[in-house]
Amino acid sequence: MIAVEHLRKEFTYYKKMTGIKGSLHNIFHRESLTKEAVRDISFTVERGEMIGFLGPNGAGKTTTLKMLSGILYPTAGKIDVDGFIPWERKNEFKRRISIVMGQKNQLWWDLPASDSFYLNKCIFGIDDGTYRDIVTEFSELLDVKELLNVQVRRLSLGERMKMEILAALLHRPDILFLDEPTIGLDILSQKKIREFLKIYNEQWKTTVIITSHYMADIEALCDRTVIINQGQLVYDGKLGNINQLLGKRKLLSLKTSASVDTDVWKQFGLVREVSAVGAVLEVPQDKVKESLAAILSGLPVEDFTVTEIPIEESIARFYQKEVVMP
Amino acid sequence: MSSGRCVFLMGVEQALEYRVSFFLSMLSAVFPIIIQTTMWNYLYRHSDAAAVFGYQQGEILLYTLLATIVSQLVGAGFEGEINSDIKMGGLNKYLIRPMDYKGYRFFRFLGQKVPRVMVIAPVMAVMIGAAFWQGLPVSAGRVLAFLCSLVLALFLNFSIFYCIGLLAFWLTDVDKLFGTISIVLTVVSGGVFPLDIFGGLVEKLVNLLPFGYTTQFPVNIINGRFGWGRVGAGFAFQIGWILVFACLGEAMWRRGIRRYAAVGG
Repeated sequence: MIAVEHLRKEFTYYKKMTGIKGSLHNIFHRESLTKEAVRDISFTVERGEMIGFLGPNGAGKTTTLKMLSGILYPTAGKIDVDGFIPWERKNEFKRRISIVMGQKNQLWWDLPASDSFYLNKCIFGIDDGTYRDIVTEFSELLDVKELLNVQVRRLSLGERMKMEILAALLHRPDILFLDEPTIGLDILSQKKIREFLKIYNEQWKTTVIITSHYMADIEALCDRTVIINQGQLVYDGKLGNINQLLGKRKLLSLKTSASVDTDVWKQFGLVREVSAVGAVLEVPQDKVKESLAAILSGLPVEDFTVTEIPIEESIARFYQKEVVMP
Repeated sequence: MSSGRCVFLMGVEQALEYRVSFFLSMLSAVFPIIIQTTMWNYLYRHSDAAAVFGYQQGEILLYTLLATIVSQLVGAGFEGEINSDIKMGGLNKYLIRPMDYKGYRFFRFLGQKVPRVMVIAPVMAVMIGAAFWQGLPVSAGRVLAFLCSLVLALFLNFSIFYCIGLLAFWLTDVDKLFGTISIVLTVVSGGVFPLDIFGGLVEKLVNLLPFGYTTQFPVNIINGRFGWGRVGAGFAFQIGWILVFACLGEAMWRRGIRRYAAVGG
């Protein structure tokens, strides 16, 4: 469905010196700089797949999505989206895709969302019956039915985002790009949008690429995750496998009835936290049993739990380039 | 419903949405009229000749009133929106939909004009009626030619300002520039006073340049200043300039969008 090969994007910009002297200097001489937003990314997405696109700010996620949707030309590399080259911007291609950007508004600000929907209906030539059914169904699922006739600028961020998503799906695109659709939203709105996207993807078998900084979004929606950092692909695989890649370690949280010295804890694993009433240790998975047995027999432990290292933490290591996919 | 019609209706709706702004903009047309009427009255009172710059006092007042109204009718004002679409990435939403940006801008421009036309048309009709009653030889043919020239003037002004708006692809801070351009163009299109008062070279230049065909030309049809020969030539110029600016706009769009897609929205 989507094939990206050795994609690269460079931006040229001019160095701006500060102050009046600098500005005068800039009139006559501008130094141009090049930024590599995306360097050599390759991946494929199957039909109906929903993949999470992760990376720190400035990693090149939005740039990649813009190239996939045809807003930007790449500097080098190839993209094939269902047989189309996105930046040729053929109408037939535009009918198959949709993009929602959490930080950009695609609805008409001064008018109710229903007007923007209607314009989309006209642009995409959606027939009356289908249009009515979709708007009714989706607005119920997203819980915005009562707000269709309210001016967009009077809506809350969460309500507006739901409308943006609804507008983007009216023409039933085969491929959907979502760029941080839940950014800045409260937990309930995030959850609602997640649930909706899940239902939508299952029902229509739409291919979805979603970027988000909320791991809950990715965990709930995506089997597969692609992580990019500084314009390069650093991980492509199941989200759950990331911990495996990072050396199969577990967290031991222990509660004690008396204070235990840090040096004592250090014998059993990497000490992450210590307090008067317990500690959190990081222990290799195959040593958990052994360490636990030793701790329980020698220390005043009241209670303990064994957990996975939080996924955010593993991903943060990818962001910091501590690990690169083998 | 076609998307053009839909955009048109949304334009109407949006223009009505901001009622205060709408009435203030209508009101803002009144002040220049008052100022100019006062100024011309003063000039004529202190001049011995009956006609100054080849215009009788009544003629110049009629010109001023009509020109102000015509500028209101054909005025663009969307160049700032094009600028922000380009600068803030709003253009993206047109690029990813099977729709044409110029078409969108055009139908929206027409739609937003509707409430204005509904207010202005009766005023203009009354004014022309009054002029006729005062002895201006207004014929049905002239009214028809005037209306045709207005429609063409609308097309022409749209095409000119569309090109001006697209300058935002290349220039970083064009908002202030737009203000200046808009004022200069109002003057050189004869929206403030008739440019033929300068006579000779200026008048020839005005006849060759496109701007006069957005305001001065329609006014000169209805006030009877132009004979039918000049009216015909004027129509040819209007159509010619529309074609020139339409082509220019196309070329600018094609180059601009390549640039936009290279540097990011």
